[in-house]
Amino acid sequence: MNRNRILFGIGVLAFVSVIVTVRLGGFLVDNEYRQPDRQVAAQEEQGEAELTPRQQGIADEQAADEAEAQARPYEEAEYRTVPFVGSRVTVWVLAQLHLLFAAFVLAVPLFAFIIEFVGYVKKEERYNKLAYEFTKLLSVSFSMTATFGAFLTFGLIILYPKFTNYLMHIFSPTFLPYVLLFFLEALFLYSYYYGWGKFGPKMHLFLGFMLNIVGTAIMFIANAWLTFMMSPGRRDDVDGDGVPDFVSAVSESGALLSLRDAFFNFTWMPINIHRIIANVAFGGSIAAAYAAFRYLQAKTDEEKAHFDWMGYVGNFVAIIAFLPLPFAGYYLAAEIYAFSQTLGIQMMGGTFSWLFVIQAALIGNLFLGANYYLWLGMGRMEGGVHFQKFIKWLLIAIALCFAVWATPRYAISSVSEIAAMGGSSHPQLSYLGQMSAKNTAVNILILSTYMSFLLYRRTGRQSVHPHRDLLTRAQAIVFSSAAALVIFYGVYGYYVDAAIRIRFAIPQVYSVLAALVVITVIDLPLYRNAAQSGETKWGRMPAVSQYALIFIALSFTWLMGLMGYVRSGLRQEWHVYGVILDTSPDAYTPTLGFATQVVSVTVLIFFGLLGVVFWLSSLGGKKDWEPKPVADGRDQLEGGQAA
Amino acid sequence: MKLSVPMPLRLVLLVLGTTAFYMYLGQIVPQKEAHPPPPVLISAEMTTEDLVAVGAELASGKGQCLVGCHTVGQSGPLRYPDLDGIGARAATQIEGLSGLEYLAQSLYEPAAFIVPGFADGMQAIDQPPISLSEDEMKAVIAWLQSLGGTPTVTLDTDLGY
Repeated sequence: MNRNRILFGIGVLAFVSVIVTVRLGGFLVDNEYRQPDRQVAAQEEQGEAELTPRQQGIADEQAADEAEAQARPYEEAEYRTVPFVGSRVTVWVLAQLHLLFAAFVLAVPLFAFIIEFVGYVKKEERYNKLAYEFTKLLSVSFSMTATFGAFLTFGLIILYPKFTNYLMHIFSPTFLPYVLLFFLEALFLYSYYYGWGKFGPKMHLFLGFMLNIVGTAIMFIANAWLTFMMSPGRRDDVDGDGVPDFVSAVSESGALLSLRDAFFNFTWMPINIHRIIANVAFGGSIAAAYAAFRYLQAKTDEEKAHFDWMGYVGNFVAIIAFLPLPFAGYYLAAEIYAFSQTLGIQMMGGTFSWLFVIQAALIGNLFLGANYYLWLGMGRMEGGVHFQKFIKWLLIAIALCFAVWATPRYAISSVSEIAAMGGSSHPQLSYLGQMSAKNTAVNILILSTYMSFLLYRRTGRQSVHPHRDLLTRAQAIVFSSAAALVIFYGVYGYYVDAAIRIRFAIPQVYSVLAALVVITVIDLPLYRNAAQSGETKWGRMPAVSQYALIFIALSFTWLMGLMGYVRSGLRQEWHVYGVILDTSPDAYTPTLGFATQVVSVTVLIFFGLLGVVFWLSSLGGKKDWEPKPVADGRDQLEGGQAA
Repeated sequence: MKLSVPMPLRLVLLVLGTTAFYMYLGQIVPQKEAHPPPPVLISAEMTTEDLVAVGAELASGKGQCLVGCHTVGQSGPLRYPDLDGIGARAATQIEGLSGLEYLAQSLYEPAAFIVPGFADGMQAIDQPPISLSEDEMKAVIAWLQSLGGTPTVTLDTDLGY
């Protein structure tokens, strides 16, 4: 008996079981005890028909329910709950899933457009094909984004009706532009995707450009809604005393005073900048994971070469965007501090401080994964052995920085351990838990990763620039100076007051940023038209490198989930910070353990759905279905039916 | 015999393993639920001693003074000034201001005077999101006075704000 027949049999059996159960239930209800018909008829004739005790009970209950319903006044619900899961977790998971797909849908057009533009300028068709491959992922992801957006909207309306109504009161003028922009995004996205090869290159690039503009505008509007909840106003020196004052966008009772201040609120622009960069990093990593998935499925060398290259480009985009991300994060955190010290302290020194230890592990793993992939990538090129001796030093630097960043200021200790240490912090290691050490570690991590990339870029190439020695030395001096400056400020930070120490992060960040820019500016002419000492063999990467790409995508997704929780959780018991209190049963900050469980569930659902997106996107490359030929030459439909 | 794990299964194991690892990290860090501070009741018949006790409760709860900002009895690199002995030294911080006036100004207008060596940053705690009432402010001042000094504030004291 074949498998299809067994499945068909199970289906028929299930259907028959349902019918039998329904019929049996109906039979039992219809055949409950009743008085003999003749007795009932006789009583009815005499006008004295009596109900059985059961019927009387049911009638009484119905009457009581109806009376209660009639007496109940209309009340607007403030909150509604979801059994077992709870309303907060429901909205939390829906919002995070919506955001993950939205981030991907916003990011992919950005680098697809850039890659297409590079292909147009360089007149190389392979870039065009690569950009199209990335864009294939957009169609299904866009539907997922819209679906979860609708789920989230309904979730908010149903579960938090009063608060949602309040947000509508504040932001109703922004809804129509949002919907119109969403419509335009759909128009540009589908015309960009389906119009590939159908329009001239300039027209197609214009569509891609407009898609990015509209997508970014949508994000900016949505960011106003969520940042308003954290910072409902702006800071401005109203009285001219040189100290910024808080200018609230709403009155103490929550009534709108200025839509402009509510929209362009204090944390709006920092979030916009942080999200654009983070979206590109995240989108690049997910696109690289797709390439890895296809690489592992690939049957031919040509397919492997294509998806290896795609994975490399996706990862390159992710890492290039990831390098400035800590700076954008620092800017956002500094702005949160500037808006409200209470919020800032809650974030870094209060309830959420331990979360940043998990964040350190995530970011450390991202750096390790990205560097590992680059080091394996050197195997693609002949002549890669020359640089492999540097890898162990880079690995040591990255591992040390990772260890410093993950060192907490206060250790989890037993009573005896606390007694032995003389306090809840370790007498020596706790110094590594301070911001001076952590800022130093993250900056050196960034420099090390950039060095890995430079080595990868040089593998198999020989500069033919007339001043190559001078320029290479200049790069080394810039790199060493930046590293020395970062370490100097890291150490010096222990000898000054907190007010001065906190400002040291700025020269550290600027020196690293300047080093990245200067070294890149020198490197471009230095390796232009470089002599190739060997051929780059795409498709030669070991399978483990592809799992590394998927691991990076997983860690990015986790990072998004965790940081989303911090940003939203910072408000603690406030819907709108300082204005609208959350009075629901969920008005408390859960444990980190619980938060990571929710993030885990979200990540698993997202990757499950991502599997569907990848599978659907890969269908386009498969052969069309064809009827199976049979012996007599006629085509045969699947299932044995002759055509 | 070499055991070969199919690719889809490897992917599933990678996703589950990575997620389990990060979730495990979340379980081994200290676990604390942060609930909104309970309401503090101040009645008209409360004495200065009662206010000190209420002020101490507010400082570590609704007032958020001791939640990552100030300390009592610590030295070394601190975020904001340690409050140990503030009851005694309040009167000498700003010439012309009594201890009570200095403490009231510190709470209502924290940017008016910054202790040397520290950065500006404290928010007025009678404003949202902390929003202490006038009586609660008096309780906090009574508690501050008790740190190295003699509390004098009652509910009838005029703070001048």
